[in-house]
Amino acid sequence: MTAFLTGVGLTAFGRQPGPSSVEWQVAAASMALADAGLDPDDVDGVISGYSTVSPHLMPADVFCERFGIRPAVAFGMSSGGATGLAMLTQAAALVGSRAARHVLVVAGEDRASGQARETSTKVLAQVGHARYEVPLGGTVPAYYALLASRYLWTYGLTPDALAHLPVQMRRHAASRLGAQFQKPITVAEVLDSRPVADPLRLLDCCPVSDGGAAFVISAASTSERSLVVAGTGQAHRHQHLSALEMGASGAALAAQRAVSEAGVMWEDVDVYGIYDSFSVTVALLLEELGLAPAGRAGAYAAAGAFEVDGRYPMNTHGGLLSYGHCGVGGGLAHLCEVAAQLRSERGASQVADCEVGYVHADGGVLSAHVGVVLRRGRR
Amino acid sequence: MRDQVLDWTSGEPRLVVSRCTRCGAYDYLPREHCAVCSGEDLLAVPADGAGLCVAVTLLHVTAEPGRGPVRLCLVELDEGPVVMGQVHDPHLAPGYRARVEFLPDDRTSAPVPSFTREA
Repeated sequence: MTAFLTGVGLTAFGRQPGPSSVEWQVAAASMALADAGLDPDDVDGVISGYSTVSPHLMPADVFCERFGIRPAVAFGMSSGGATGLAMLTQAAALVGSRAARHVLVVAGEDRASGQARETSTKVLAQVGHARYEVPLGGTVPAYYALLASRYLWTYGLTPDALAHLPVQMRRHAASRLGAQFQKPITVAEVLDSRPVADPLRLLDCCPVSDGGAAFVISAASTSERSLVVAGTGQAHRHQHLSALEMGASGAALAAQRAVSEAGVMWEDVDVYGIYDSFSVTVALLLEELGLAPAGRAGAYAAAGAFEVDGRYPMNTHGGLLSYGHCGVGGGLAHLCEVAAQLRSERGASQVADCEVGYVHADGGVLSAHVGVVLRRGRR
Repeated sequence: MRDQVLDWTSGEPRLVVSRCTRCGAYDYLPREHCAVCSGEDLLAVPADGAGLCVAVTLLHVTAEPGRGPVRLCLVELDEGPVVMGQVHDPHLAPGYRARVEFLPDDRTSAPVPSFTREA
């Protein structure tokens, strides 16, 4: 099965009141189709990510009607933060099985301005167990704070170890148009920012954003810019934090499935997009993937390992931590950025000799994992 | 399937874990099958209620209006599984032994597991 990433579209993220969720999806979809060089009526499949602001029984049909297309296949999906890449695997399966030729995948939410912050927090807290965790009063930041507390204690670290990761993400965002936060930050500023859930502080946490992202998966390339979906892999080992096996969350398993399908090794990968909802999220993922030794992700960041010219160029758009997080679209920004790198479109932030990219997303509390290997296209 | 042995979520002040009679794996959250070996015969066992604290957090921004800061922890029970609970001992930190009590939640007054350093 060969599938191609033929177009990507990513709006600016930030507090941008006005458009509704479906309107953000429409904006990103128009960009993705233009990028792919396709007309709306070329699209015969649509997959849509959920919106927490506008929950709906049939989000893909809402999108199609609003956009003005009538595809043969359309459905919505939800796997938390992993939804974007999970939709990619399903889109690739649709073109692989010839159920569709061009699948348009959309995500977008007015999460920053369409609902109160308390509502967002409460909705997201439902990734906790309704009976055994939610009644204790936790939230998503609290669950990740518990992971951070355990991580720091396990490796004998202090919170500044994690602070280097948001600092690096902000440095990337400074040179990425559309990023929500671009003013450089220091480790001291991370450590001085408002405590959210100890040991996590405000700058350890991604913001909530308005924005959209979309892409097209096709059975054949449509331009020089088309990329090959070389491999995908998933793992689903638990949903709730109380059932998480530390160090075996499923991240490594999903990645191993993706890279083995692609027939590549980590040494072959030139650019990375790794989910970074919190500083500790990206630390745990990098370490479980084997890209940094246990307890050393922050030290790697401090040493420049994730810079454009570092050993593992990562999240060169600024990640969720600085480009922003509008829900499903947030996890797709990593995909759009890795695609831009593989297409040599990143100018001063271009990673040299970029042939192979790896994107990883997790949903819930390191619960649902999807890894995707992209390769520069060959016509 | 786990036998019905009531725990704190049904008003019984205790933690209950399940043990797979086939492979011996322990679980805290209810399951139909053992996630390790797919065994169906899961035995409900009241836990002793003590273990090793592996994580704590003080949550400053809660989801519900009117709820003050909440202190939470993860405790690896001596039986094996990890349990989330509140904390009523501000000195509880990762690395300490912890023991559960069941105290009324600040907001709902329903008894919830709350941990303190083991004496």
